[in-house]
Amino acid sequence: MKRLAHATQRAGTFLFDGRTVPFHLGDTPAAALHAQAIRTLARSRKFHRPRGLSGSFVAGHLCGVDGSPHVRLDRLAAAQGMRVTTENVWPCGAFDLLGSARLLPRRWLRAGFEHSPLMPSGTARFEPWERFMRFMAGEAPVHAGNRRAIPQGRRMTSDVVVVGGGPAGREAANAAAAQGRSVALVTRGHVAGAKAAAWGAVLPALHDGVTVLTAHDACGLYDRGRHLLCAPHDAASSATIVAAGEVILATGRRSAPPLVAGADLPGVMDAETALTLAHRHAVAPGERVAVVGNGMEDTLAARLERLGVTVVACQPVERLERIVGWSAVSGIDAGGHIACDCVVHAGPWRSDRRLAFMAGADGDLRVLGGPLPAMVRLAGAAQEADEPVGHGAALDRRALACPCMDVTVDELLDLIAAGETHVEVLKRLTGCGMGPCQGIPCWDNLAHIVAHATGREPSGIGHPTYRPPGAGLTLAQAAGLQDLVPLS
Amino acid sequence: MSSLPSRATTVIVGGGIQGLMLAFCLAERGSTDTVVLDAGYWQGGASGRNGTMVRGGFASQEWTRFFGRSLELWVGLSKRLGENVMFTRRGYAILAESEAMDGLLDTMTATHRLCGVQSRRLAASQIADILPHADHTRIRGALYFDQGGIAPHHAVMKGLRKACIARGVRLFYDTPVTGFEKSNGRMAAVLCGETRIEADVTVICCGAQNTRVAALAGLELNGEAHRIEALATEPMRPVIGPGIALPERFTYLHQTARGEIVGGSEVPGETPRESLANTVPIMAAFARHLVEMFPCLADLRILRHWTGMLHVTSDHAPMMGPHPDLADLWVSGGWMYGIAGAPAAGDMLAQAIVTGVIDARMAPFAVDRFRRGALIVEGSTVNV
Ligand SMILES: Cc1cc2nc3c(=O)[nH]c(=O)nc-3n(C[C@H](O)[C@H](O)[C@H](O)COP(=O)(O)OP(=O)(O)OC[C@H]3O[C@@H](n4cnc5c(N)ncnc54)[C@H](O)[C@@H]3O)c2cc1C
Repeated sequence: MKRLAHATQRAGTFLFDGRTVPFHLGDTPAAALHAQAIRTLARSRKFHRPRGLSGSFVAGHLCGVDGSPHVRLDRLAAAQGMRVTTENVWPCGAFDLLGSARLLPRRWLRAGFEHSPLMPSGTARFEPWERFMRFMAGEAPVHAGNRRAIPQGRRMTSDVVVVGGGPAGREAANAAAAQGRSVALVTRGHVAGAKAAAWGAVLPALHDGVTVLTAHDACGLYDRGRHLLCAPHDAASSATIVAAGEVILATGRRSAPPLVAGADLPGVMDAETALTLAHRHAVAPGERVAVVGNGMEDTLAARLERLGVTVVACQPVERLERIVGWSAVSGIDAGGHIACDCVVHAGPWRSDRRLAFMAGADGDLRVLGGPLPAMVRLAGAAQEADEPVGHGAALDRRALACPCMDVTVDELLDLIAAGETHVEVLKRLTGCGMGPCQGIPCWDNLAHIVAHATGREPSGIGHPTYRPPGAGLTLAQAAGLQDLVPLS
Repeated sequence: MSSLPSRATTVIVGGGIQGLMLAFCLAERGSTDTVVLDAGYWQGGASGRNGTMVRGGFASQEWTRFFGRSLELWVGLSKRLGENVMFTRRGYAILAESEAMDGLLDTMTATHRLCGVQSRRLAASQIADILPHADHTRIRGALYFDQGGIAPHHAVMKGLRKACIARGVRLFYDTPVTGFEKSNGRMAAVLCGETRIEADVTVICCGAQNTRVAALAGLELNGEAHRIEALATEPMRPVIGPGIALPERFTYLHQTARGEIVGGSEVPGETPRESLANTVPIMAAFARHLVEMFPCLADLRILRHWTGMLHVTSDHAPMMGPHPDLADLWVSGGWMYGIAGAPAAGDMLAQAIVTGVIDARMAPFAVDRFRRGALIVEGSTVNV
């Protein structure tokens, strides 16, 4: 994909499956690879379908980096000589024989191979098969020499902690700081407000009194809000526990991927990912980009064009019937066929409810969210209602509800028709949402499919338990948290 | 879903692994008129939240005879059910880091021999073969069960459920039992809200809720609810073959067939309470034990962390058999190793209910042992 006019200068090269890839100043490996039109970064779990930078399905962002497994290529600075390798391939990324799994009938590979008719039953016959299954399922190889000192965790106290560096997060942080309260602000961005900047918004400056944790995931909220776990994207750095008197969740909303066939292909990405590529990295998300959305598509198309991107179509998401392609996007069917190599979705917009759920989560038979504890509140777009999951007129059985685990709409509809309508049960029967995204956005799809098939309201279906820390922190970072939080 | 019946030969309260295994074993013996009632969703209890590890040998003869039998029954369970429970004999290693624990492993091996359960001590070179990625400087000795292994709970619970339904057992989830009816000194009926189900035999196997459910019948049951937590990492190519217990670290773990490392730790000193909320100290402790023992896993990320609840008795051993204070009421509870023990418990309880004969290996775990002062001394459990 072409570099846009505002590109920075070339800074060096790294290796991707042995191939030399140039990168520019400030690039992530994902952006640099995208600029070279290398869009398949990973393979899906069962079918070995290609996965790329989507912003939605984390499994597509993971590679081995310098011997460390499952590193997110969109959250790491590219560095000279870095070795990036594709995982879940055999014998290698350039020539993945396992990719032929894609040609098997999907019914054979339901529920993670495990309950497939291919699998021999009976202890003695199952055991050799299990060895094969273990090899196939484990994605990353082990590097025996890998060792890392445990980074000693930090405990930070403040009057207020704000999650999210967007407009609402800044406003809340500034207001609290202006009252003389101590404030910590946690953001995933490399700077606070990166997403708003990519949209072209100008945000008010942060008050001097606000301590900012950039490039951190707030990945767990414990003890009814008293302890917020923040993990840095850099595996060498330590995790932080923020013990605050008030927790403000200003996590905004994200665009949920359309639930159509082909939405898992490399080249399909959310608005934020496309804008980050175009704005921050000056890489065109595609040569010919189609934009779909839920009212915001025109705004996004205009913004992308302003950044130098060629937009060939702009459609409401409910017109999108399917996304076409084999190893990457080659077009969309939306009324008629439109040739394109990239689909960007700007809506439907949905909030990430994980932290809010965890704040109130408890129970004895089942973990339920419950009302937010008094010390936790939502701010900004995170409070707004979720928009319904998007797809064309009919629900396509071939679409993937959970692309990381290769769970199809078909598999879920069959189970629902057989009487399984409890989301916790559907999760356990299919593995839906058990990959590195931990349910975002797959459980929204799951609830949507159950509602669609049973005629119930999606809001009444609920979702399986959001469990921390959702691939947010490494074992070494977690080990460094010892003695920072008292035993309950 | 069909509606609740007004009578059944057997009503099983609790549809975890204990309840389902018992329903299946009763059906195998020809008693198929069984209703299973469960307050939550299928796999919502400890049976869907556990470490799935199975071993046959412990420190006491009572535990070893019972769990040794259960291990034998794990092999062949798929065939009996007609469903693949995916039990695999990947081995089970108990690692000792101190001299005292190493000594205990010797004593255990002797007990196993006495009870006919296969186990062996590993030499350093064998430990290196079986656990190539472990930090061998920390390991003083190991006790190994070649026949031990993993019974993935999702497959076991799925197989049991299908096998029960195929044999006519009626399963009702999201159906809490709210009371009991006693008459003429026996348990006569089970109440689910407005619905009354008459039963010849009632069995309580409600896991952590056992004491609370027994109290609905005005009965006391030894033990209390206890929470333990577990974690799963992102998947890796095979690094760890067998199930592993690290008794000195109150830690156990294995690598699943999906590649995830799953396990948990206990941190002594927690106040017992009923809650499924996760805690930071336990995550930190498990992560530290895992990284110290397997340094190459340091950069692996934690996918999810969850909590399960157990019914723990005052001697930590399970309780199985008739309730001493009420005829026609049976209990299968106190399970800390309720996966490992399920096949034997189901089989022996079904035999006792159908024929009245109590297996000698089950007898020491009688419900009234606390009253008789016949507690079981067992020194090798990881939990608690
Ligand atoms: C983290 C963890 C790790 C573990 N690791 C292992 C291991 O490696 N190996 C091993 O052998 N064991 C392990 N265990 C223990 C094992 O999971 C349990 O011993 C076993 O699952 C208990 O089964 P159960 O059927 O007795 O209880 P449960 O599975 O808890 O089932 C009890 C059922 O009763 C239902 N119930 C409650 N109240 C009512 C009511 N009023 N009416 C109707 N139904 C009701 C509940 O909904 C529940 O489904 C572990 C447990 C945990 C939590």
